[in-house]
Amino acid sequence: MTPEIEIKNLNFYYAGGIKTLKDINMTIYKSQVTALIGPSGCGKTTLLRCFNRMHDLYAGNRYEGEIIFQGRNILSKDTDLIELRSKIGMVFQKPTPFPMSIFENIAYGLKLRGIKKRGELRERVEKALKDAALWDEVKDKLNTNAFGLSGGQQQRLCIARALAVEPEIILFDEPTSALDPISTGKIEELIISLKGRVTIIIVTHNMQQAARISDWTGFMMLGELIEYDKTDRIFTVPSNKLTEDYITGRFG
Amino acid sequence: MILNKRKIISSIALFICFLTACWGIFWLSFILVDVIRHGISSINLNLFLKDPAPPGEEGGGLRNAFVGHLLITLFATLIGVPIGVLGGTFLAEYGRKYNFSKIISTLADIMVSVPAIIIGAFIYAIIVKPFGHFSGWAGAIALGIIMIPTVLRTTENMLSLIPWTLREAAFALGAPYYKVIIQVVYRGAATGILTGIILAIARVTGEAAPLLFTAFNNNYFSLNMSEPIASLTVTIFQYAMGPYEEWHAQAWGAALIITLFILFTTITGRLLIKRKYKE
Repeated sequence: MTPEIEIKNLNFYYAGGIKTLKDINMTIYKSQVTALIGPSGCGKTTLLRCFNRMHDLYAGNRYEGEIIFQGRNILSKDTDLIELRSKIGMVFQKPTPFPMSIFENIAYGLKLRGIKKRGELRERVEKALKDAALWDEVKDKLNTNAFGLSGGQQQRLCIARALAVEPEIILFDEPTSALDPISTGKIEELIISLKGRVTIIIVTHNMQQAARISDWTGFMMLGELIEYDKTDRIFTVPSNKLTEDYITGRFG
Repeated sequence: MILNKRKIISSIALFICFLTACWGIFWLSFILVDVIRHGISSINLNLFLKDPAPPGEEGGGLRNAFVGHLLITLFATLIGVPIGVLGGTFLAEYGRKYNFSKIISTLADIMVSVPAIIIGAFIYAIIVKPFGHFSGWAGAIALGIIMIPTVLRTTENMLSLIPWTLREAAFALGAPYYKVIIQVVYRGAATGILTGIILAIARVTGEAAPLLFTAFNNNYFSLNMSEPIASLTVTIFQYAMGPYEEWHAQAWGAALIITLFILFTTITGRLLIKRKYKE
């Protein structure tokens, strides 16, 4: 297994100086699915949003420590955020289609990369939609407004949009928490099908989901990474008492 | 017992609301009907195609005022809309983290209700006086300034209605902020911003006071914005005060046209808002 991301002594402070992540050390492996679980407010989403420096959009947030990706510390001041975000995509809790057609939604990221040829755009859009298992449902209405899709379809559209630009990593921030069980199932299948091609880091409230789809699981609490191991070990023989209490439903 | 009392108070309140609404609608329809009744007979092609005849003579129209009004409104829009839209964009996007943005928003709210005649006097002092004569440009600038706060505030409001997660999604794809704004946020807010612009145009079309101080008037047809230029509203003012029957009739005609224009643009604006919320 090749490491994709190395996190070293990561601390994170929100504006106002509240320390939300405390001394996180972990290695994310290439082409694997890594799940972050833990009770509300434990910092799992905060950690996820460090990987594409989403916190930089808001004034006053501060990082300490290192996140090494492709040999460089992405937390350093001279990181090109546009380049970083083109390599590390993100799918959000609520579906976030842009106010444009289905085709334009997928093509948006490609156009940002300077792909302008109509033919190439068509090809890449089709491929992304097929990869996201959405093609058959939308192939006849590519030019209609993306808001016309159902919630689950919109979320798969967002995944297709992230896939279209062929990122190294995709971050999922509770991608199914706003969806019904059937749509959730489809998205889980989709994530499993992406294994081996792209590194996935997923934050989830749903422990069963983490157990079903991930190779690695990190359990977080109060801003600390309590335990990080292979998923089957975390869910069968956790080494930490807190992890065991959480996964057996004693709190959280 | 208590419930009964509440029902009675509720009915009384409802009845008072109903009466005041009727009162408002009564005057509105009264004005509309009156303008139509008097104005309709003066509407003919000559009104649009001919310039004013010498006082007291038959015939003639208000071509100069129609064209002048159109020019002033056009240039006012060209001045007011870009500043308003870009200013609103600053307040809602780049400037949202600064405290002074909130102060500017509040000032803009106050500016919306500043009497237009004050803006007219202001432009008179800073443009008309130094140049030594009235001009179409001064009129356009005055109306443009009146448009700015309305357009600015609507733009700001419409942009802040776009959820932050949408911007984050665009940032997460590696888009720079200006592209996020132009390609994603504006697209989501386009109808709302357009509505603000239309309503602002409708508002300035009916202004007479600021033009009296700036564009003044011109009895001849002119396309020269550096000279005094005629406008419908000032012409209505002048003709309605004048001693000739013919003038009164034409003033009614012009009043009807301008009322219909404002009615039309306002209704368009409202319909756009309505459609926006249906989506």
